[in-house]
Amino acid sequence: MKSLRRTVSELWHGWLQRRIPPSRQVLLDQRRIFIFPSAYGFFFLLIAVLLFVGGINYENNLLLGFSFLLVSLFLMAILHTFRNLAGLKLVAASMRPGFAGARGALEVRILSAHHAHLSIWLHWPGAPAEEVSVEPGEEKSLWLSVQLLRRGRQHPGRLRVESRYPLGLLRSWSLVDLDHTCLAWPKPLSGGECPASGGDDDTGVNHQDRGSEEFEGLRSYVAGDSLRLVDWKSYARGRGLNTKQFSDPAEGRLWLEWNRLPGHDPETRYGRLCYWVLQLDQRGERYGLRLPDGELEPGSGPLQRERALEMLALSGESG
Amino acid sequence: MARVYQVPRHAFPWLISGALLASLPHMLRAELWLSVVVPLLLLWRIMIQRGRFAMPGKLVRGMLLLGLAGATLYSHGTLLGPDAGVTLLVAAFALKMLEMFRLRDAYVVIILAFFVLATAFLFSTGPLITIYIGLVLVLMVAALIGINHPESGVSPWRHFRLSLTMLGQAIPLMLVFFMLVPRLPPLWSLKVEQQQGKTGMSDSMAPGEISRLSRQNDLAFRVEFEGDVPPPSLRYWRGLTYGWFDGRRWSQAVPPALDRQEYVRFANGVSPQWYLQLLADRGDAAWKYRVVMERSGRQWLYAMSVPFSDKADVGLARDLRLVRRTDLEATYDYRVTSYLMPVAVEGLKDWERQFYVALPSGSSPRAAAMAQQWRDESVSDAAYANRLLRWLNEEQFYYTLEPPLLGQHTVDDFLFRTRRGFCEHYASSFAFLLRAAGIPARIVAGYQGGQLNPLGNHLQVRQYDAHVWVEAWLPEQGWVEFDPTAAVAPARIELGLEQALAGFDEQTDTGLAAVLRSNPLLTRLSHLIDYIEFGWAKWVLGYNQQNQLEFLSRWLGKVTPERMVMTLAAVGGSLMTVMLIWMLWRARRPGLKWWQREYRAMLRLMRKRGLNPPAHLPPAQVIAAAAQRYPRAAAALQDWQHCFEAAVYRPPAADPELLRRQLVVLRRKVARMSRL
Repeated sequence: MKSLRRTVSELWHGWLQRRIPPSRQVLLDQRRIFIFPSAYGFFFLLIAVLLFVGGINYENNLLLGFSFLLVSLFLMAILHTFRNLAGLKLVAASMRPGFAGARGALEVRILSAHHAHLSIWLHWPGAPAEEVSVEPGEEKSLWLSVQLLRRGRQHPGRLRVESRYPLGLLRSWSLVDLDHTCLAWPKPLSGGECPASGGDDDTGVNHQDRGSEEFEGLRSYVAGDSLRLVDWKSYARGRGLNTKQFSDPAEGRLWLEWNRLPGHDPETRYGRLCYWVLQLDQRGERYGLRLPDGELEPGSGPLQRERALEMLALSGESG
Repeated sequence: MARVYQVPRHAFPWLISGALLASLPHMLRAELWLSVVVPLLLLWRIMIQRGRFAMPGKLVRGMLLLGLAGATLYSHGTLLGPDAGVTLLVAAFALKMLEMFRLRDAYVVIILAFFVLATAFLFSTGPLITIYIGLVLVLMVAALIGINHPESGVSPWRHFRLSLTMLGQAIPLMLVFFMLVPRLPPLWSLKVEQQQGKTGMSDSMAPGEISRLSRQNDLAFRVEFEGDVPPPSLRYWRGLTYGWFDGRRWSQAVPPALDRQEYVRFANGVSPQWYLQLLADRGDAAWKYRVVMERSGRQWLYAMSVPFSDKADVGLARDLRLVRRTDLEATYDYRVTSYLMPVAVEGLKDWERQFYVALPSGSSPRAAAMAQQWRDESVSDAAYANRLLRWLNEEQFYYTLEPPLLGQHTVDDFLFRTRRGFCEHYASSFAFLLRAAGIPARIVAGYQGGQLNPLGNHLQVRQYDAHVWVEAWLPEQGWVEFDPTAAVAPARIELGLEQALAGFDEQTDTGLAAVLRSNPLLTRLSHLIDYIEFGWAKWVLGYNQQNQLEFLSRWLGKVTPERMVMTLAAVGGSLMTVMLIWMLWRARRPGLKWWQREYRAMLRLMRKRGLNPPAHLPPAQVIAAAAQRYPRAAAALQDWQHCFEAAVYRPPAADPELLRRQLVVLRRKVARMSRL
């Protein structure tokens, strides 16, 4: 039984893969749109059948006509529900990473070429749906949250694009593979000593007091500088954004190192490193990262953090 | 309680007005409490929507439901059956408005509304109510579209327009279904117990009852002839016969010796001996016609003698009239061929003769004595009957709608004392006099006459055409019709009731009909309305299995179920395909920008003014040419051109909406100024 279900599921996915191959941009057309009555649609048809039986039994032609009108309306709803999806263009746009076990988000752009597409619901499997409408010629962008299960690049599965507009009697949908991935950083794991080297002393004790770094002066703010180092007092006085400069002895750089976490499995190591990246970033300190498959030059600020996390997320994936 | 589902603001007006209008026909028809309760419940719902009231709790709703069920039970004595069921349905529908906690409930409300709308057809089937129901359906579909569009800030009219479009597209398909879906016979028998009573003739007649009917203006049936319409003096529509007299009241009765099975012959039943005899003896086919009868609640059908119909549920009774298997609970249409009365070869059977001469003993002795004496003085039964008619004609008898009350011996009292009566008095006395002389006689009840509608060339027979007359069995002739009323008031037959009564200085208060007749414009209007109603009854209400077969055999040749299904699939399918292609094609065509549409409108105006700018000319040259031709409009044209360029090239400061409005105003100005 189980194997049968798996076979069917494999066949289905294989067919879907051939029918709607992955692509960064998809135009929904009759090859890609499925349509089927909703539960209300069946209920509606049941009512039409009841009225038909009533019309036959009471020999009432108007009752029959009413029932035929409902059925015709249902048939027209097939066309309209289909049309509401047809011609919609979906484009994979940017991505907002998250930690493994939490959520990330993917941006999907929705474009309408000719006519309005109203009340379209989009979601990845297992994620809450978002509703959007686009008017003719309009383009909208939608951030859809994605459940991130493990570290690394995540393929969220096929995006379900669904609509019941206008009557809710039918559901037209498509399962689109936008070839879109979401990055999952390792889940931060606290505890243990800072796996660092190259600080003031090689013991790797974290710098509780910042006396070791001597204040050198100010330079004007450069995008990417840590906000913690901004001299807010001078900013408040109207002197613009400036970043505090500390003297930074070469050996004062903190290298977060993979090799300093022996005896743990790789994912725990990534988790620990991630935790310390966040910690050090929060303190506004400079840090570098040494992983088996790469190295990040020391630095600080959001950009450094971004790079470090990305490296941690992708490490070990390619090789 | 979970968060209450909010019906979108743009859908709510359609939902609430649709609900009210869907219940309206029922509120006008059914009990008074329904028309109080439904608006109150809807008002409550409005207050909830506005946030003034909270949703009522389970207990309140339960009590309300019980109350409504109780009220229905109190009004109808039952919760079952169409009448009570519909009342309960409408009440529960309004109550369901207070129970919308989820989107699902909103769906249920709308689908219930469809049901409520459809049930209105159980009670009235005119063209106007059909249009009304169609309009309310537009509202309900708009509401359905609205609840499927949960965003805010959408115009309700957008739903309305789409609803109109979708229903408009559905109508051709519906017509195809209507024409082609095979009409089945009822699956099981259902009895509609309507509040409307039975109308028209009843199964017995006492003096004064037909004259009461004659004050009604309601339509009884319409008749459409193939070929000529018979003259008024032949328009005797037989419905039923009264064979039993108790001294006051004539009643319908079957001779006790006759087997009930043998009394009525249906097309698919056995043919009794008398029927075979009738088939052999009947004369030529005289008239072919189609009768569309209004609901009567009775099973009697009206036709000229001797009627034959080929419908399966229509039977011919032994007294030469048509009956339907079940009571007419809706408009009913049947075709009849009337044959001339057969000339009797055999006499009446003994038991039949006895039945048709029976009189209560001791009733109206003076009339009975006169009958015996006159019959003895006459050479034949026919001569005796004619003497009676002459006597009625020559003596001072009055034809009146308000006859005085009669004593115990009704016939004596009428013939020798009051002498003022309506057709039932004359028919009753005449039949009595025949029977008292030993001549078999019965009363025939039905309608006489009918007004010709020149538009459709059909007859309208109304309740005031109700009439009774007499049939007597004459040796070697068989049943012969006598109309004693015609002897007293010949105008009744030739000209109708009103003129006949006017001849006796009687005022009729058939009301509207008299007003209508006096005004030629109103007469024409009433003919038009009647014509439409008749067409509706024939083509819509009366489109039954038989008509369907006739209609389809014109197109399909031989009609078989397979052919019908194939045709249905082919026609319906191609209609759907055409619509799909049209919709997709329309979708593919890129929409024009608003300023392109504006330019086209300007070009149309130019063309209307006789200017034919070649298509390749840039707008500036077109405008220049127009300005040259219409110097008065030059300034407006110039302004228009500036605005148009601003719209096309869109300088950052330009407000498109403002530009668009300005362009329209300027174009209208150009139109005015360029008018010569």
